[in-house]
Amino acid sequence: MNKVVIIDDEPQVRRLLSMVLKARNYEVHEAEDGPSGLQHIAFLRPDAVLLDLGLPAMDGLSVLKRLREWSEVPVLILSVRDEEALKVEALEAGADDYVTKPFGTAELLARLAVIQRRRFTRQHPEITAGTLTLNLLHHEASLAGDRLKLTPTEFSLLHALAEHAGRIVTFGQIIRRVWPAQLSDQSEALRVHISHLRRKLGTTGPQIINEPGIGYRLIDS
Amino acid sequence: MEPDAASRKESDSLALVAQYSGALAVVFSVATACRAILPQTGYLFSALMFLMAIVLAGTRWHRGPVILMAILSALTWNFVFLQPQFTFRIKNPGDLAVFALFFIVALSMGHLTSNLRQREDALERHHRERESLLAERHRANLLAESERLHRTLLDSVSHELKTPITIIRTALDGLASPNPYTAEITTATRRLQHIVDNFLGMTRVEADALRPNPNWEELRDVIRAATSPLEEEFRSRQLLTSGLDSLPLLKLDSRLLAQALSNILHNATSYSPQGSPVEISASFLANSLEISVRDHGQGIPDGAENAVFDKFYRGPDVHAGGTGLGLAIARGLVRAMKGDISASNHPDGGACFTIRLPAQAAPLSP
Repeated sequence: MNKVVIIDDEPQVRRLLSMVLKARNYEVHEAEDGPSGLQHIAFLRPDAVLLDLGLPAMDGLSVLKRLREWSEVPVLILSVRDEEALKVEALEAGADDYVTKPFGTAELLARLAVIQRRRFTRQHPEITAGTLTLNLLHHEASLAGDRLKLTPTEFSLLHALAEHAGRIVTFGQIIRRVWPAQLSDQSEALRVHISHLRRKLGTTGPQIINEPGIGYRLIDS
Repeated sequence: MEPDAASRKESDSLALVAQYSGALAVVFSVATACRAILPQTGYLFSALMFLMAIVLAGTRWHRGPVILMAILSALTWNFVFLQPQFTFRIKNPGDLAVFALFFIVALSMGHLTSNLRQREDALERHHRERESLLAERHRANLLAESERLHRTLLDSVSHELKTPITIIRTALDGLASPNPYTAEITTATRRLQHIVDNFLGMTRVEADALRPNPNWEELRDVIRAATSPLEEEFRSRQLLTSGLDSLPLLKLDSRLLAQALSNILHNATSYSPQGSPVEISASFLANSLEISVRDHGQGIPDGAENAVFDKFYRGPDVHAGGTGLGLAIARGLVRAMKGDISASNHPDGGACFTIRLPAQAAPLSP
């Protein structure tokens, strides 16, 4: 049974989320503020954390930064604000994904499932996302069995996205990954390569979805 | 600023003319007065009177009139008081020396006193500038503080309003019952959410709290972001796009534009029959992006092409519901990005909304 810790200051939100999660066979623990949430996590070693960004006293971002000093547990951010900058900050500080309130239950469960997946380490040098397969040994990509002709940049871009398939990857994270040595702003180049990559992926297989102001998400439709 | 500076210049030159005439008048009056008491006082007394007048003038007047006064005083003293009187000749060598000394003292006194005055003026000006600078900074601080408060308030109100909606939605999802009452609550919750979003959106637009943050974007992504909250509305109708393939990458704030487009699309689906398509076409020319959204509804009533963007404007087809804020927000968002929006009727029927936006095209574009 997967263990989840919910850190949210709204008792009703905690109660409902825990009902929803218990119905899906999660073991749920609740915390109403940052410090007690951190204690729960240290003590229970959960499989995932749901963290509200708008906590009183110690805000969600500080909790996350503190947590990342000693734990790699997957964290899903719950946020009501539309402030993209804050979400990006949380993602770059180590959050795995986010949902914006008001969210649907299906969306929450899907995100929660995806962020837990990353814990399983790969044993062989191949990544699959739907019909897309990346062979990291030979730097080859294929879509539904057909080989894709990708440039080295496109391959490393697709690699960055496919490795976290279903999860949001911020523009900054992608750029640091694909162009590690470049100091100049690569956001334009990123968009250009994404648009090439999308054309090569076509409309039937996995899609690269843009989340305005935040980043890209590869979803296998 | 301009007319103010001009009028100040004018009053300055008027004051200068007054000072020059004042200089003439003072020299004349001192000469007349000293001439009247000459038998009692002697000509050296009149020289000192002239010097005193110059010093006094120097504390108030500009350098020009004071120097003029110094020269004039020396000449008048020579002309009226030195032997032989009423000539510029000086008979006595001792008087010549006194005259030369008088001339030098008068000139240097005029010069020194007006120098002093100028320095005082500069100091005062400096003080005034400092004060106005401080006041300016104080005002800017106040403004920033009130803006910060406003945002904090908005954030907390938006948190307070959205939390219960989240709870209702999650609870409804949990119910997942085929009960028709549940369906009604679900619909009402969606409407409530729409209203809350619109009111918060309008407040943000009016609070001038929108700071565009442009980035390189594909318009396709913006349209996708605009339509994703309208899944329900587009379940029974088609969204047709054209012109997207020929667009370059554009530098724009995708969030603001997506929100504006989303409101226009929502409006289009509210005012056109179920099942009719909505069409988006886009073009880019001379650093200007043009996006048109056309529906197949009744169109806009004659003369209401501008009024539709007013707050709380409602079309005659009132059954559509809504807050009457969607298009007003859309216009506020587009204007925050330095663009504009207009409405018209399509020649073949239906309303057509057009956004025009200045945008930069990426040089690397495919």
